[in-house]
Amino acid sequence: MEGKSEIQGILIVEDEKDLREMLKVSLTRKRFNVFEAENGKDAITHFKPAVTDLVITDLIMPEEDGLKVIMKLREMKPSIKIIAISGGGKAGPGSYLSLAKALGADVILSKPFSVNDMISHIEELLFVEQG
Amino acid sequence: MENDGIITGNDGYLNFLSKEKFFSDHILNNSRSMLSIINRNYIYEKVNTTFCNAHRGFANSIIGKSLGDVWGNDVFNNNIKQNLDRCFSGAVVRYEASFTTPQSGKRYFEVIFRPFPVESGEITHLLAETFDITDLKLSEKIAIEKEEEFRKFETNLPIGFLRCNPDGRIIHANKAFMMIMDSRDENQLCFSNLRDYYVDEGIFDIHLEQLSDSKPKVFGRIQLKTCSGNVIVCRVSAYMSLTQSGKPSYVDFSFEDSSRELMLESRLLQAQKLETIGALAGGIAHDFNNILATISGYSELLQEDLPNSSPSTEKVRKIMIAVSKARSLTNQILTFSRQLEQEKVNVNIYDVLKETIGFVRSVVPSNISIKSFFRKKDTSVYADPTQLFRVFLNLLTNAIQSMDEKGGTISIRLSVIKGQSVQNELNKNIVADEYVLVTFKDTGTGMDPSLLRRIFEPFFTTRDVGKGSGLGLSVVHGIISEMGGEIMVSSEKNIGSVFYIYLPVSTEFKEISKIPDKKKTILFITGNKHESRILSLALESSGYELIESSDKDQLVKLMSDIKSRPDLIVYMSDAERIKTDDLLGIYSDSEIKTPCILITDSNLDSMEEKLVNSGIIKQHLIKPVSLKEIKNAIQLSI
Repeated sequence: MEGKSEIQGILIVEDEKDLREMLKVSLTRKRFNVFEAENGKDAITHFKPAVTDLVITDLIMPEEDGLKVIMKLREMKPSIKIIAISGGGKAGPGSYLSLAKALGADVILSKPFSVNDMISHIEELLFVEQG
Repeated sequence: MENDGIITGNDGYLNFLSKEKFFSDHILNNSRSMLSIINRNYIYEKVNTTFCNAHRGFANSIIGKSLGDVWGNDVFNNNIKQNLDRCFSGAVVRYEASFTTPQSGKRYFEVIFRPFPVESGEITHLLAETFDITDLKLSEKIAIEKEEEFRKFETNLPIGFLRCNPDGRIIHANKAFMMIMDSRDENQLCFSNLRDYYVDEGIFDIHLEQLSDSKPKVFGRIQLKTCSGNVIVCRVSAYMSLTQSGKPSYVDFSFEDSSRELMLESRLLQAQKLETIGALAGGIAHDFNNILATISGYSELLQEDLPNSSPSTEKVRKIMIAVSKARSLTNQILTFSRQLEQEKVNVNIYDVLKETIGFVRSVVPSNISIKSFFRKKDTSVYADPTQLFRVFLNLLTNAIQSMDEKGGTISIRLSVIKGQSVQNELNKNIVADEYVLVTFKDTGTGMDPSLLRRIFEPFFTTRDVGKGSGLGLSVVHGIISEMGGEIMVSSEKNIGSVFYIYLPVSTEFKEISKIPDKKKTILFITGNKHESRILSLALESSGYELIESSDKDQLVKLMSDIKSRPDLIVYMSDAERIKTDDLLGIYSDSEIKTPCILITDSNLDSMEEKLVNSGIIKQHLIKPVSLKEIKNAIQLSI
């Protein structure tokens, strides 16, 4: 990240408010520009491709799930980096994370994850991208 | 019509006699029977018209002839003469005979000879009465055939059938009923009363009462005591036949053994119950993971905020360790409810089983012996080897615990069976042509049926409150189900238990993870090499090179040279010969920056906490560790 003047934007899509806020605090502290969406529909409607470099999305949410978010945002901005997070599927065997991977999530993390691990992943993804 | 009398109109008496004779002749000649008078010389003296018609002749052509002339000498001598002689000596003789004639084929007759005594008492003549019973015979034959057919049907039908008196005394029982009742002898059953086989005799009376309207009844399932003393469940139907006056005549019962039906029903019920609990528990675990992620995230932020010297740092660490424990618990619940993402590889089930047995052998008391019988040593299943290890370890541990005091034997068998026979046995849709069957049999305390029904439920434990989470067998069930397998158990109190695990054999070669260009070396520091070997089974196929160390000097030597230094150290808390302090000692050399993963039980001792707090640990995992977890940890650490 050294030597980069532009602040990178991260969109957090998570229906659980406390968790979303915690991620926002952690990432803002790391000098990212953080956007929030509380469900998939919200995320897709208010997506700003120009200023968003990475998306962190939960998979099971009301109003369009995470898989839809991954597909739509990839369509709108193919270079976007995606981290999928899930706490074990409510609906059926826990195959959501594999599906997310198949749909093009760069990193998949099971809840509860370590924020520091999450940040290492983000830095790796964005650092590689910026060369 | 024969009439050789002289009828004279003006003699009243003669007229009367003639009239009498005319009437009796009319009766005789119109009888359906062939009638004749035979004298002692076996000569026909008188025959009726029916007789003549049957022989296609006139009375004149028969009267005066001997029986030998009419029937043929052979027939007369062999069949007729002896009967005639018996009649002449005073007996009424009755017999059946058959004759074949070209005109009418084989005909059956009933023959009756009656002595015809004259006044002196001497028998000079006899009356022969013969009538055609061919039609009767034919219908009798058909009836016998029909009865035979019915008997066969009734004997071979897999439904127990019996007939009893209205008071319950058994008149007849078929083969199937005898088999259902474990009876070898129909007579044994026939001397007994059906009522006595009902576990609840009151139900028998209710049945009889309901049957009294003479309509067929389906009663559903009742319990019966068999001749060998077992209690079985049968589906019962019955029908009571009444006499013409409306009194009970007899009762027909049918009994169908419902054991298999019940077994399948209870299994289905069990599966539905587990599914429901799983959905519930999984949902809670999911929400709980969200909360844990928040707690762990803020703890990490807090940790960053605190200076290293702060006494609160340790408190934050403790929160994070608690989060790890909670995560381990939610993971187990998710495993049980089959909602946990698992990483699977093709793994030789024999290798995993062998390592698990090796792991257990080192801790098993000397009064317990473990015997293994392996039919095949090269069968692959598609699984997470660490999960399989948990399954086997759990079953072995349970077996050992059930034999704790008196000792005993654990027999472990591994064989490969056809998918079809699994389908027949379990009534389950099969997903593979072949299945591995692993059985664990112990000679321990066994279980009551009431216990047996519930052992796969989560939080159901027979141990004292506080010992173990009670998730053990429910997690085992979840792992096996997730693999497309099935786990069954049978048990007898004070005899022991047998667990059966069916797993689909994997035939396809599943794609393994991309092998890194340069092989990374991972050093396992462990007290028991069997457990790390389980991980090796999986990690080697992902392209890691694994080395083991259980000796301090060897470790120091390895780490002192940059060439032999591994890329990663995995330290397991059971490593007895390399203490946590030894590890910290090695890292005191500032040149050594090798990342380290710590794997511990959920209860950390003070030394382990010190290690976590030291900062050399990149990732801390709590047992049981899945393949996916360790791979993630390795990727994050290297």
